[in-house]
Amino acid sequence: MDVEAIRKQIAGLPVRDYMGIIKLARRLKKEQDLSGRDKVKVAVIGSCSLQYFVMVLRLFLCKYCVGAEILEGEYDGIHMAVFDKQSELYKFQPEAVIVLSDYRDIRAFPPVLSAPEEVDAFVRETMGYFETLWRRLSDIKGCHIFQSNIVIPLERALGNFETNVYYSRRNIYQMLNLELLKNRSDNVTIVDLEYIASMVGKERWFDNTSYFTSKLGYALDYIGVVCDIFAQQIAVLKGRVRKCLVLDLDNTLWGGVAADEGARGIQVDPGDAVGEAYLAFQKYILDLKSRGVILAVISKNDLESAKGPFEVNQNMLLKYEDFSVFIANWESKAENMELVSRKLNIGIDSLVFFDDNPAEREIIKMYHPEVQVIDVPENVADYVLALEQAHPFEWLNLTEEDLNRSDTYKSNRQREELSMRYEDYQNYLNALEMRGKVQSLEKGGIKRFTQLINKSNQFNLRTQRYSEAQIAEMLSDEEYILLSAVLEDRFSKFGMISCVILKKEGTACFIDTWVMSCRVLKRDVEKLVFHKIIESAQHWGCTEITGEYIETRKNALVKKLFSDLNFEEVRGDGCSGRKWYICKVSDAKIMEDIAIEEM
Amino acid sequence: MNIKEKLQEVFREVFEDEEIVLREEMTAEDIEDWDSLTHIQLIEAIEEEFDIRFILQEITGLSNVGEFLAMVERKLGGK
Repeated sequence: MDVEAIRKQIAGLPVRDYMGIIKLARRLKKEQDLSGRDKVKVAVIGSCSLQYFVMVLRLFLCKYCVGAEILEGEYDGIHMAVFDKQSELYKFQPEAVIVLSDYRDIRAFPPVLSAPEEVDAFVRETMGYFETLWRRLSDIKGCHIFQSNIVIPLERALGNFETNVYYSRRNIYQMLNLELLKNRSDNVTIVDLEYIASMVGKERWFDNTSYFTSKLGYALDYIGVVCDIFAQQIAVLKGRVRKCLVLDLDNTLWGGVAADEGARGIQVDPGDAVGEAYLAFQKYILDLKSRGVILAVISKNDLESAKGPFEVNQNMLLKYEDFSVFIANWESKAENMELVSRKLNIGIDSLVFFDDNPAEREIIKMYHPEVQVIDVPENVADYVLALEQAHPFEWLNLTEEDLNRSDTYKSNRQREELSMRYEDYQNYLNALEMRGKVQSLEKGGIKRFTQLINKSNQFNLRTQRYSEAQIAEMLSDEEYILLSAVLEDRFSKFGMISCVILKKEGTACFIDTWVMSCRVLKRDVEKLVFHKIIESAQHWGCTEITGEYIETRKNALVKKLFSDLNFEEVRGDGCSGRKWYICKVSDAKIMEDIAIEEM
Repeated sequence: MNIKEKLQEVFREVFEDEEIVLREEMTAEDIEDWDSLTHIQLIEAIEEEFDIRFILQEITGLSNVGEFLAMVERKLGGK
């Protein structure tokens, strides 16, 4: 069985089928997984037994197309691995470290009846240990830390009284979990195992027999649930982020068929149990929208019947304006899915599909395996939970730009209407009244800068991915210049939309990274940015600017960027899909007629 | 299928080896992947197959196939 076959199987296996998962993980153990699109080095340290975790984590990383090299820490070896600079951990130089802490790690507690100050001091001291741990791990260049929080045990020596007094262990665990949140830095992600344990039920989560015999921290039954979460977080670290929820209408957002029952006849009545369930689902979707998820509709309908309920049914919570793309026609949904991706200018692998019709789901799975298709239950009361448990929208951070994205796409429609009034493209660009600025990256922008670099696929010359920690490091390194561009026009403020990393290599200024958000393609931004690149090269006293284009499945868009900017191609090293370019600073083409006014 | 044959199926399933033929004196030494971790998996699989539950004292006492077999038989007899 090869890796590809294993990947297909794990994608179809329920995360609770732990026997099936372990079997598959064993099979993968014998394979060298070189097929992943991304490679990652992960170290796992923890106080309980890690063997199963490591084996299954590798399987789930394979599910997300991430080929992994994993270092398995010693049993109860957190302290040893982290505080000994000679340990395997530091030699390994991982990009991600998973720290699996356990409630049993905390061995002594303030005694019963301790004063609040003593409890606070204890919590501070314990938190101090975590902080030191994180600081040490952050010495590893570009390392991101995934720290589990503490799953609060069921033992309560004080019974219900535990939740009434400050000095109780239950309170202390809760405070510690809160401290983890408060004290984490940008390169630390807390993984909420406490939530996972509550979800599956703690009576089942804890398995003391397995702990006493094999030092397993929790029942083997949930190894898949746990590893899936961690693997997904790592995939997100590698830029695998989903952005858009694509929804069906009839029997998905409301009960019944709008074309048959009429815009007012569909079931969204808040006084009816079924109607209430559909409304609860709509409400959840609105919550997703307000955290930056883009909404789209594809429906097999004529446009009139599809739009009807949004316009005339007063009970509807979702409005037509909430959707950035609204497609109602009789084409196949596989084709419409591509249309959504094109209209939003985002990869088809960033789409999530929710449709009550199993036949449609199968079609999408077949034609677009990269789309996440939610297994929608028949029971409408479970719609929210089904979407929740598939946790499709896992992001490691959230920025202003994320929240404004939906509005930006809506403004796109207005822009489209404007563009129809101008026959000449340059006139259209002028009519947009764009204002922009390219400047050196500031500390506060690191989050967005990293996010943009990791999310951009189309306008991306070399598709190098970096963590926030790595970017922060470059920022304080004089051999690097980091540029960011912001843009606004008469319809919207885009915020940061282009990032450049320049590296001084002797007399050359090398364009290590140049990405741009696909929302502002063909807007002259690249011209504005190139000006700044020339200036930076001059600032360093470089005589030439060098660049490289590494071909991927998605970046054909910038294949000609360097030749358009007057670079000369230098002889490649024979490696396919890689091209080297050079441009003398003195010859660098100064662009005129840029339609963007400098801010 | 008698209990021994059923148990043999479980062993084959867990260790993914269709060749396994159980003998009473067989121990972890005789089966390649039988370590403390697969032991847990084995216990869980046996519990599932026969719909029985082992307690901690019983698990730690099991060292060869014969003892497994005797334990399962005793548990089933008590049902």
